[in-house]
Amino acid sequence: MILGEFEESTLVGAAGSLWREATEAPFLAAIRAGLLPNEAFHRWLVQDYLFVKGATTFLAVAIAKTPRPAQKVLISGLAALDMELDWFEEKASKRGFDLNAPPHPTCRRYVDFLVASAYTQPFEVLLGMLYGVEVTYLCGWSALEPTGPYAEFIDRWSNDQFAQYVRRLLDLCRQHVHAGQQELFNEVLRHEHEFWRMTWKG
Amino acid sequence: MLHESLWRENADVIRSCLEHPFVRGLADGTLSHDAFRYYVAQDALFLRAFVRAYALAAAKCADLDHARLFHELMTGALNELKLHAGYAAQLGIHLTHVKPDPATSAYTEFLLRVAWHDSLAEIIAAMLPCMQLYWYLGTELAASLYPQHPFEDWIGTYSSKEFKQLCTRLEWLLDEVASDCPAVRDAYCYAMKCELGFFSAPMENPP
Repeated sequence: MILGEFEESTLVGAAGSLWREATEAPFLAAIRAGLLPNEAFHRWLVQDYLFVKGATTFLAVAIAKTPRPAQKVLISGLAALDMELDWFEEKASKRGFDLNAPPHPTCRRYVDFLVASAYTQPFEVLLGMLYGVEVTYLCGWSALEPTGPYAEFIDRWSNDQFAQYVRRLLDLCRQHVHAGQQELFNEVLRHEHEFWRMTWKG
Repeated sequence: MLHESLWRENADVIRSCLEHPFVRGLADGTLSHDAFRYYVAQDALFLRAFVRAYALAAAKCADLDHARLFHELMTGALNELKLHAGYAAQLGIHLTHVKPDPATSAYTEFLLRVAWHDSLAEIIAAMLPCMQLYWYLGTELAASLYPQHPFEDWIGTYSSKEFKQLCTRLEWLLDEVASDCPAVRDAYCYAMKCELGFFSAPMENPP
């Protein structure tokens, strides 16, 4: 997969070291090395599910503020999140994980930031934030080969269809440039970094 | 009364706030100038979010008497902001250039998320801890006052009759509007924890 176009985008370039910090994580390195502790995987799955629930609210509000042509891409993204929630529920149920667990403070801060921003920021800025949420996952997981016990998880966020969605989001950001886009894109990267740290350290 | 049971359920966090080095420093007057400066600047950012949350709460009121109360609370918060502007001028802080501490962002983004997205009951539950805690700290610290105490104004504001009145009215509204449910308890408890984090930030951020 060619990820260069994302890494060379203006938003990523201007984020400096935040980009690397948001896409490289001990959690991912441990999957690659086949040394991921069960406890970390459990924490990640539950907290990522709770995050996606919050991201669904963010996206629903963002869709309502976005003009029609751009809205189409976001609506497809919302439908994908709905399927992702089903998928998480199935994975958790198989493993006996409790998805009613409370959100970790790090997850909570990320979701509060997204939802508060959805209501207070213009849609162009929200596009940049959504791009940040998705492109970090795409690039983070794409650094791994989809093999081993977590192959299905790796493939979920590194497959071509997901990359195409992220590319459409990048196109929208380029079409709807806004002075506030970079600042909140950077903030998303900071939250991504904290989220990965939480999955690893608890 | 719901406001009393929530206060009791969170007694451990409230005690941690009272015993926090920042609050002890306010009480005995030994808090460093830099820590107070940092706190005032962050609190001004917090109060701006508080004012917005009151406005959003008012917008969600079907009962005009409730909306009137939020109008009064908003006026109270705006007056607090004036107090901060006074401190800021004395302390040489340019409030327009202040960046939010992560503890401030966590608290304000939580408040704004609840204010925009959740029910009136949850908004009140998220806003009441600040009022109750500051009234409690104000009255507890009032006993420590001595002539020319450096934080006399701060302690005086939060132990005043006017502040108590606003706090009591918000407690009344919580009891009137909210039911004892997990969402309300969670909003209250998280806000109280944010208060504790807010006191830690000035001690962890040397200039």
